[in-house]
Amino acid sequence: MIIFDHVTKSFDSLTVLQDLSLKVDDGQIVAVVGPSGVGKTTILKLITGIVAPDKGRVTVAEGVVGYVFQEPRLLPWRTALDNVAVPLRAQGMGKAAARSAAAHWLERVGLKGFEAYHPAELSGGMAQRVSIARAFAAGPRILLMDEPFSNMDAGLKESLIEILQGMLAERPATVVYVTHEMMEALRLADRIVELTPDHALRELDLSDRRAAAEEWRSKFVPRS
Amino acid sequence: MVSTTPPRGTTEQLGKGARALYAILGAVAILVAWQVVSLFMSPALMASPWATAKALASLAGEGTLWIQILVTLKRLVIGFAVGAATGLILGILAGLGSRLRSFLEPLRWTGMTMPAVVIASLAMLWFGLGDAAVIFLVAVIVIPVVFVNTVAGVLAVDRRLVEMGRVYRFPGRLLLTEVYLPGIGSPVMAGLTLATGVAVRAVVLGEVLGAMEGIGFAFSRASSLLDAPALFAWIVVLLALMGLLEFGLLRPLKRRVMRWRKTET
Repeated sequence: MIIFDHVTKSFDSLTVLQDLSLKVDDGQIVAVVGPSGVGKTTILKLITGIVAPDKGRVTVAEGVVGYVFQEPRLLPWRTALDNVAVPLRAQGMGKAAARSAAAHWLERVGLKGFEAYHPAELSGGMAQRVSIARAFAAGPRILLMDEPFSNMDAGLKESLIEILQGMLAERPATVVYVTHEMMEALRLADRIVELTPDHALRELDLSDRRAAAEEWRSKFVPRS
Repeated sequence: MVSTTPPRGTTEQLGKGARALYAILGAVAILVAWQVVSLFMSPALMASPWATAKALASLAGEGTLWIQILVTLKRLVIGFAVGAATGLILGILAGLGSRLRSFLEPLRWTGMTMPAVVIASLAMLWFGLGDAAVIFLVAVIVIPVVFVNTVAGVLAVDRRLVEMGRVYRFPGRLLLTEVYLPGIGSPVMAGLTLATGVAVRAVVLGEVLGAMEGIGFAFSRASSLLDAPALFAWIVVLLALMGLLEFGLLRPLKRRVMRWRKTET
């Protein structure tokens, strides 16, 4: 459960979120869409607690948070396996146990055989998959993802969305997921909320996904 | 499945063999220049490489060579270890806390500005001649060098990795060992390398001014006896000592710290 109760957040004099209210139930997958600079990432940071709201309240269910950053953010001096294992070690697990749990998630993202590689030896897409494996290895109750597929080609993105759905079936979590790609959001999400530049939050009607896709497309492609 | 060929880092570098070859050529050039110059100068002013080698052999035979080396090495190692550890710990703390950083700034400035000979004089005044004064001098000289590099390293640690650690609730110890310490590896190694050279100069200075044994003392005695071959022999000993520290200690350490980069050291 995640509740934003009239949350306002500014950075210096720039208001990023204004009077935002949002409720996400356990197990829901919510996509947050909208143009750049409307505070999508700030929503994720508020959920982690590393950023505090100026006004209002953010209430988040107790539990581990997994975070897939926009860029992989791996420890360059650690192998892929140890990078995936590190959240477990942060939770107090021993090195060997953390590694064997990590190996499972590395395999799930298709990187079996790359355990001993360092991030510099991996491609951008591979590094991002390590980051996704790390988020799952943490055993998250809440999974936050910030445009996780933005640096990937279409084929890779496609296969990774499938992998991700499989991983979520294996380890369900409440997911808040930031993207600017509507089609991606329509495939993955139970709910889609749109943040607009005037700080409004609009919930998209997904009772008819095709209609929603059509409506979205019409915003960008003017009809003749 | 998706493509899985990892790109390897490629940097344009000479091969290991070629680098060694050019380094050897450089060393030979120094020897040749030394030989040539010594032919044109009085042996009392400049010992030839051969005369130096003979002096070195006789010093080694007498056993004084090894005793003096051990004395100097002991002072160097203790002074360096104390100085480097102090500089490292203070540097990490000052890097993390801007209040402490500002508070230590005048001390850092004083340490870096003070000429070594002034510190040596004070050390002799406070500790008398011998081990304590020289060790103190070396430590005091080393601290700011390591400190400055460590602070720079901590400040340059990738904030995004720190944020990642906070999101995954790294305990302080893990944040230190997984993010900060490896993150400062490169500048700290640069600081330690710099500090090693500074420390060797300091130990010699300290022994020339304020000790009754050690390489610096032996050097100073050879100088006052106008014994050019011995003087040059002690210079060679110093260079060998530096080489020992660099190749026996610093390079392996750097390789270990920088292992993850998989590039040449």
